[in-house]
Amino acid sequence: MEKVKQKDLILYSGLIILGLAAPYLFSAFKVQLTYLCVLIVLAMTWNLQGGEMGYNTFGNILFYGLGMYLTASVQVGMFFPLAEWTESGGEKTFVHTTTQYFQGIGVGLLVAAIIPTIIAGAIGYAILGLRGHYFAICTLGLGIAAGEIAGGIEIIGAGQGFTTPPFPAEIVDAEARGKFFYFLSFALLVGTFVFVKYIYGSRFRLILNAIRDNEDKAEAMGIQTMKYKIVGWMCSAFFCGLAGGIMGGLIGYIDSTDVAFDGREMGVFMVLMAILGGKGTLWGPVIGATLFHFFKEGLWTLILGWQYVALGVLIVVIVVYFPEGLMGWLREKYPERFGEVIDEKDRKAQVELK
Amino acid sequence: MNKIAKLFVTFFSAITLALVSFSSSFAKVEGEYIVLGSAISLTGKYSSNGVHTQNGYNMAVDRINKMGGVEVQGKKYKFEIIYYDDESNPKRAAQLAERLIKQDGVHYMLGPYSSGLTKAIAPVTEKYKIPMVEANGASRSLFTKGYKYLFAVLSPANQYLEVAIDLAVEKNGGKGVKIAQAFEQDAFSQDVRLGILDAAKRTGSEIIIDDKLPKELNDMAATLAKVKAVKPDVLVVSGHTKGALTAIRQISEMKVDVPMLAMTHCDAAKLSKQHGKKSEYALCASQWHKNLSYKDKFFGSGKKYAKDFQKEFGYDPPYQSAESSAALLVFKDAFERANSFDRDAVRDALVDTEMQTFYGNIKFGPGGQNVAKPMILFQVRCKGDDCENRVVAPTKWASDKFYHPIPKWSERS
Repeated sequence: MEKVKQKDLILYSGLIILGLAAPYLFSAFKVQLTYLCVLIVLAMTWNLQGGEMGYNTFGNILFYGLGMYLTASVQVGMFFPLAEWTESGGEKTFVHTTTQYFQGIGVGLLVAAIIPTIIAGAIGYAILGLRGHYFAICTLGLGIAAGEIAGGIEIIGAGQGFTTPPFPAEIVDAEARGKFFYFLSFALLVGTFVFVKYIYGSRFRLILNAIRDNEDKAEAMGIQTMKYKIVGWMCSAFFCGLAGGIMGGLIGYIDSTDVAFDGREMGVFMVLMAILGGKGTLWGPVIGATLFHFFKEGLWTLILGWQYVALGVLIVVIVVYFPEGLMGWLREKYPERFGEVIDEKDRKAQVELK
Repeated sequence: MNKIAKLFVTFFSAITLALVSFSSSFAKVEGEYIVLGSAISLTGKYSSNGVHTQNGYNMAVDRINKMGGVEVQGKKYKFEIIYYDDESNPKRAAQLAERLIKQDGVHYMLGPYSSGLTKAIAPVTEKYKIPMVEANGASRSLFTKGYKYLFAVLSPANQYLEVAIDLAVEKNGGKGVKIAQAFEQDAFSQDVRLGILDAAKRTGSEIIIDDKLPKELNDMAATLAKVKAVKPDVLVVSGHTKGALTAIRQISEMKVDVPMLAMTHCDAAKLSKQHGKKSEYALCASQWHKNLSYKDKFFGSGKKYAKDFQKEFGYDPPYQSAESSAALLVFKDAFERANSFDRDAVRDALVDTEMQTFYGNIKFGPGGQNVAKPMILFQVRCKGDDCENRVVAPTKWASDKFYHPIPKWSERS
């Protein structure tokens, strides 16, 4: 047991060192690496619902978008009149000082974590009674509705979009912005991973699994399934909100349907990444997101105009050949490496029976 | 567990290796080529206009290269453009701008298509001090942010349809008119809306319908039903190519009678070809029309440009292509005046730009917008089944009289 833990320790410290060194090693790729961190966070949190709880949600994009708008609004609203900032024709230019910028984004991220969590609780209470496809379709509607509503709210820029505060000009180093957002997202990734890993070792995960495998039985055993479903969703919302807040600052421009409540891309990607890597596993979403991001960044520009066709093919390939994801496939192939013991006699007996 | 750990280590080191091998970036000026970068919408909702933009860029690159290229410090250089597909998505566009600058080493950028995407890219180019000449981001807010490296060859979006309201008021004997308007929820169309609001205030006109249309719009029947009920004097619609097509399709289907219909993007949507007589009398705002009498030595006149473009790409150039071609003429001019590849020298040269192109006069205001060129209005007119766009305002360029009011559908053949 001790030995295994030591191996883990080496692996994790290796990864963290790699993560910390990455922006210096691959300076030109900072933005892509930041995206990667955020994608992993989204895939891991989706996995809590889709993989562990068996509730395929398309609604996590709601929290991501909320986090984005909240961070930017707080960051501006703390120091300047928000309505004047977002009003497109505004002739005034507001400039954040360095302290204002960081104070703003700090408080903004805090709000971006808390409010989506509360909203997840409220919405969860209303709709987590739905099961299966009904829940999926309902959450799909949430994201779309949020995008349309945000596109009509003047104070956050409505259809004009919302330009987030530019990085303080007093910091002359052109690399500073990239580094700042990278480390922010990396910290979020580490936090999310630690949290999810903690859940994986807890009774909470078993309850989520029980809900997935047979909700009625779980309820009959005295588990208050509703409570756990809501708490599970609130956990995801917390991290999705933070991810959104970071992305908003990084992208610099928030559009209601294309950037914030971007169900068509981010909302689908997070599901796809989790399934690609293997849902219901700790490492699956991490590997899925990493592979997906590399596929996307590496190949998409080579097949200009055809990338969505390629993505469609990828989805088909995943679903047909790796229905359980890469981790599931590996597990089937090398069960002993996952600590599963196979009774050879039993297996032979079964083969003979056939 | 042990083997899995090994698997991960292998996996991550493979990625690390891949990243390192990708890191080789090349410079802004490579041999005899000046490398420009652009993220263009080849897929997604702006794909048709994205292609118009790309064709415009390519046409100008070919022409300039063929006619000797760009001369800097006595040496001739050729233009080359690296394109990426931004999928009509601002998030992707910002990321690609970063990629063009950081990984491909691009030092000069050409704009994407649409205001929203330009808004997403401008903070990136500004951060890295990369001069960007853009031809398709007209939103007024682009020019109030104090960007120093952004230059637009077009007139701001709020000017698009202001003239149309003035025209309607004039036809109404100087009295205010009743305006019905419907705009797509995107940066550009909402700016056109602001322009109308200003014009309405100025002329004492009243806005009786003010609808928002969803992105990727395919249906505006609800707005049109209201228009039928309240009978405004002017109907204003803006929503890029799809907006123009949808409006004409549904107005003709529902037989909506309105004395004046003002729109944007008629030529990009090839309205007169696609909808023929149904689109007759539609009034359209445009940055450019081939009949204008501007000239330059690369493309000659607008008419000649249109002919060459038709030959190359098989369709009449919409203004999106013309302004995109003009962006390269501006870059060429700036490089030659700067006589250097220093980004700041090129930027300073861009500030001092004052030139005439086939597309119009170009001189940049303090915010980076083109202040030397007016917007024009044309009206779709048909002879038999053959429809074309004729310039009706401003009077200096007008080839035809503005036809008002639009005859009722019951009277149209």
